This record gives sequence, structure tokens and C-alpha cells, in this order.
Amino acid sequence: MTWIDDATLERLRRAADSPSLEGTRYTLIGKLGQGGMGGVYRVEDRQLERHVAMKVISVPDAEGELSRRLLQEARIIARLEHPGIVPIHDTGTLSDGRPYYAMKLVEGQRLDEYVSGVTTVSDRLRLFLRICDPVAFAHARGVLHRDLKPANIMVGPFGEVLVMDWGLSRMLFPANKPEPQPDQNALQSTDSSAPTQHGTLLGTPGYMAPEQQTGQPVDARADIYSLGAVLEFLLTRMNPGSVPRALAAIQKQSMATNPDQRYQTVKELAKDVEHFLDGLPVRAYPEGPLRRAWRWILRNRAWLLLLLIYVVVRALLIYFRPR
Amino acid sequence: MSDRTPFYGASQQFPLTRWSVVEAARSPNPEQRQRALETLISAYWKPVYKYIRLHWNKDGEQAKDLTQDFFARVLEKRLLDRFDPARARLRTYLRLCVDGVVMNTDKSAQRLKRGGDVTLVSLDFETAEGELQHLPIAAAGGPEELFAREFARSLFAHAVAELRTRCEQEFKTLHFQIFELYDIDGGAKELTYDDVARRFGIKATDVTNYLAFARREFRQRVLDELRKMTATEEEFRQEAQSLLGVKIS
Amino acid sequence: MNKALLGMLVGGVLGVFDGLSAWFTPAARSQMANIVFGSTIKGLIAGVLIGFFARKVHSLALGIIFGLAVGLLLAYAVAATQPGPNHYYFEIMLPGGIVGVLIGYATQRFGHGAPTRAS
Repeated sequence: MTWIDDATLERLRRAADSPSLEGTRYTLIGKLGQGGMGGVYRVEDRQLERHVAMKVISVPDAEGELSRRLLQEARIIARLEHPGIVPIHDTGTLSDGRPYYAMKLVEGQRLDEYVSGVTTVSDRLRLFLRICDPVAFAHARGVLHRDLKPANIMVGPFGEVLVMDWGLSRMLFPANKPEPQPDQNALQSTDSSAPTQHGTLLGTPGYMAPEQQTGQPVDARADIYSLGAVLEFLLTRMNPGSVPRALAAIQKQSMATNPDQRYQTVKELAKDVEHFLDGLPVRAYPEGPLRRAWRWILRNRAWLLLLLIYVVVRALLIYFRPR
Repeated sequence: MSDRTPFYGASQQFPLTRWSVVEAARSPNPEQRQRALETLISAYWKPVYKYIRLHWNKDGEQAKDLTQDFFARVLEKRLLDRFDPARARLRTYLRLCVDGVVMNTDKSAQRLKRGGDVTLVSLDFETAEGELQHLPIAAAGGPEELFAREFARSLFAHAVAELRTRCEQEFKTLHFQIFELYDIDGGAKELTYDDVARRFGIKATDVTNYLAFARREFRQRVLDELRKMTATEEEFRQEAQSLLGVKIS
Repeated sequence: MNKALLGMLVGGVLGVFDGLSAWFTPAARSQMANIVFGSTIKGLIAGVLIGFFARKVHSLALGIIFGLAVGLLLAYAVAATQPGPNHYYFEIMLPGGIVGVLIGYATQRFGHGAPTRAS
């Protein structure tokens, strides 16, 4: 029998894992990453002469469960046409029987890699707002992500943010129903994030809402919890002592254990972050009149300084007027 | 939502019933148990031997005896009856059983009487010992990783042998040769498809097709073998994932 | 509130206070009404001009410079028309310039203006 050294072992692993693309219009370039149920590959679309990303189920799927999940993932993403959500180009089945879908190839960095180059709190908050945008859009279309985390967020070469890996996403209602009103009862997930039949809970610890961890039905507020965890991630990389109290309060409210105590929509969360950036009071951090006055002074300090200069100059002119 | 799309082709490929060594080893039929043991030995004897040699630091003779003792115990003590797939993978369970055998075996070599109704497959320990020369003395990553790697090596070697046999039987030796060039020998690094096509006297498109065929068949062989070595679909899926887990370039 | 109106408001209010500060000059107290009126009108004119500028040009630096220029110009005009040998150019133009800067800053920073044409 052939002796298989470690290098050969690795080559054979790749060979067994690599998708069979003959019969498709794609050519394999290399592997980009590995998720829970599938690998993501860089492939060339020979017809359009461009590189795309292809997600292929890499584990055996005798019961077809993973195929159904992959197709559902593709359909969900296809419904969400937004600059912050990677578009789907194609779906199909490879000659080796494995289902796939092809999507835009994002040439950029994952958020956890990108963030080290973002040095100010305000820049990180603006980045965070760009993450909230596609999530709010998805919620408006009735889709929960359920696995928001820095590793699933990419930042492109022009600073554009894309929310990736909708593999755990769920539809809240069918495509032909109208968009929901902002009513949490309407936004209840129709299926819970209960453990799979294989006993594996879906989601990422640390970013998963408590109700998701315990397998209870989840709604948009589970994604808000995850966004709060992403915000915490963005802020904790900075000097912890320098995080303003209002901002810490926003993050804390996003991650409240009780969903009723969190922001009820992504829009509310984003609005508070915007207010913070604009120097306005935030909902999560009620302030007394003195603090509000101080905040007003800080926001208008330039103009107030000019006014003070005017008053001082006037006073000096009066005092030193020729008698 | 219609399920009748090409997307679901994969679900038709796999048999609905599975034959696994675990179930067969528990069968009341002695022939079934024998077949299960032979399959188990075929897949695991080299990993067990190398594991005992490298992790337990036994010399060749001791490792040889312990390997044979271990498989004898699997049969006579019906070790697989106690295996619970909910608690561990079969591979991990077997490794722990090996640890138990090694720890409990006295130097005075209390060999188990090997039952007369059981014939163990003769094992080529010399070849296994020769392979050990290629491996580092200190195994990186710990015992679990060592055992897993040797199991993968053994499984892949079986799959390669089966692929070779099949290609020969179907007059597709060229397919296997191209697969060997790319994925076994690694000799295609500096070659283009045109170079390889010229070498074998075929078209460049044939190179990709033949390679794809061989890889597809290789994968199927690997998965078929692995399926026998796992007790449940979940364990099979997890083992497939870790076995085929590839370092990202 | 649009920028021109904001300019008028700020200019008018500052103009009133500017005029009232003349009370500290005893010689001017008899003329208080005229001074306050004139100062207010000056402030309103400055506010309108600077406010209109802010509607057309969205630049804090240019708005401040323009405000300063208008404030100084109008203050110069007031000082030049002062009776007597002393025109008090410095005492009138300095605060006048600061008021112009204040109006320029306020109209650039606050209020709603028409979008600028591309330059």
C-alpha cells in the first residue's frame, strides 16, 4: 500500500474536499474559508470573466438537511438587495452531488482584522452604524441573521461594510406578505433556535442572545443583542477607561438579558449612537438638567466662546473708555 | 417551496441504510462480528500500532503484542458494546481503550488466549515500523491528534488503493496516474494543464476532467470507509468535517 | 429656520445689546434710543447679508471671514459718521467685527440653507 506522508496527507485532504466544478462555468482558484457546514472557495466565472465566491457543502448530507439549509440561505440572501449584503449570483449542484451557491467575492478584511486600523471612538461608531444599516434592512424584510459577530462582517476596500454568512438566518414570514409594522408580536420567529437534531446549538457564544442560547423563540431583538456585542467588541479594543458613560449605557441596553429591556429595533439603537456622535442626549443614559446644560454648552462651545470674547471686549472697552 | 430541484441531487447519492462496525460488532451473528472486527482491524491496526510506539514509547515487539492484544480484547470482551456515540466518537473511544490495555498489561506479558473461532488478519508490522521512520519522534499536538492523523493516513491509504483498483478495472489508469501526479506525488506544482496533457498525450480539458473524476471517486471511497467506522450520521458528519478539514491557504 | 432669518435674529439681538452698552458712556445716554435703534438696524443688515451669504456658500471659514468683513465695514460706516473729532474707530469696529464673526459662525453652523451650486 502507498505510504502517505504528511504532505501527501494534506494534498489528499484538499483533493477530497475540493469541489468538482466540471460541467459548471467555474474554475477553482483556491479556498477562502470553512464554515460549519460548508467551505467557501474563490472560483473564476469563465463566462463573465470574474472571480466570485462559492459556498459548497463540505460534509456528507444523506438526509438532505444541509442542502435545504443552503438553498434557504441562498433564497434569503437573494431577497435582500442591499449594498451591505453580499449578492447571490447563482445556485446549483456540482457533479459530485454537493449543492452550492455563488456570490460576490468580497476583497476586504474581516471586522476583527480591520478594526485595529480604526483608532478613534467616533470612527468606530460610524463603522458600527454602517453595520446596523443592512441588519435593519433585513429586519424590515422579515429576516433575522442570528449569527452576527465580527468574523461575519467584512469591510471592503472602499470602507463599505458587508454583513456575511446568513447561514443561520431565518425568515419571519413568507416573501409575499407585506412588511411588518414595528410590532414585536409580528416579528416573532416562526421557528425557534432550539438545538438541532444533532444536539448542536446554532450561533456563536458571546454574541448569542440569552434566549437564543436557551433555545427559546427569538425575534429581531436577538440580533440587537448581537449588535450590542459587536459594539462592545469595537469599544473594548480601545482603552476601557476612555469609553464614555453614555456609550457604555447604549451597549449595556443593547445587551440586556431581558429582550423587553433592549432597544426594540435596530433603528432605535442606531439613533442613539447617532445622537451620541452628535453630542445629543441618548435614550439609554438619562441626564439631569445640569448635565443637559453642560452638554449644550459643550456642543456650542465655539459659539459661546466667541460670545464671551465679545462680552469681554465690550466690558474692557467700557472700562477703559476715555473719560 | 418545491424540493424538486437539481439542488437536492446530493440526497439521492447515499444509501438509506448504513453498515457500521459498531452495529455489526454487536450482532449475535458470529460471522457479522468477525466481519466487523476485520473491518475495524483493517482501518485501525496501523494507527493503534504507531500510537503505542510513539505515544506510549514501546519498542516494536511490545507494540506488536499490545496491538494484537487490543484487538483480541475488542472481540472477546466485546468492547464495542460499551461504546456510546452520544459521549464520544468511536475513534476517541478506541484510543482510550488502547490506553487502558497498555496501562493494564503487565511486563510479564499476560497474553490473552486468543479464541480458536477467531482468525485475526495477519498484520504487516514491518511495513508499519518502516513508516514510523518517516514520522517525528515527538508527536506534535498530543495523543488525540496523533491518533486522528494516523487514522486519516490509514483511511486515505485504503481509499487510494481502492481507487487504483477501480480505475484499473474500468480501464481508467490514466485517470489514476493524473490523480497520483497531482495529489499523491505532488509533482504537478510547476506544471500547467497543457504540460500534463502533453506528458500523457491527451487534451488539456481531459486533464481537468480525469482529475475531477478521480478526486470525486477518492472522496466517495473515503466517505464510504468513514461511514463504516461511525455509529451515527452525526458522528459521520463530524468525522468527515475533521478528516477533510483543510488548512486554508 | 433659514439662514437669512437666523442671521437677522442674531444680528438684531446683538445689535440691541451693542446699542445698550452705550449706556456706560454717560455722554451717550441722552442718545440711547437712537443708538439702540441704529445699532439694531446695523445688526439686522449685517445679519441679512451674512445669512444670505451662508445660504450660497457652505464654508465655515469663508462665512466667518465674510461676517468679519461685513461687521467691520458697517461698524466703520457708523464710526465715520460720528460727530466730533473722535470717531472711536477702534471702540466701534472691534466689537462690530466680533459681532460679524458671531453672525457668520452662527449662520454657517445652524439654520437651513439652499444647497450650493457646484463651483
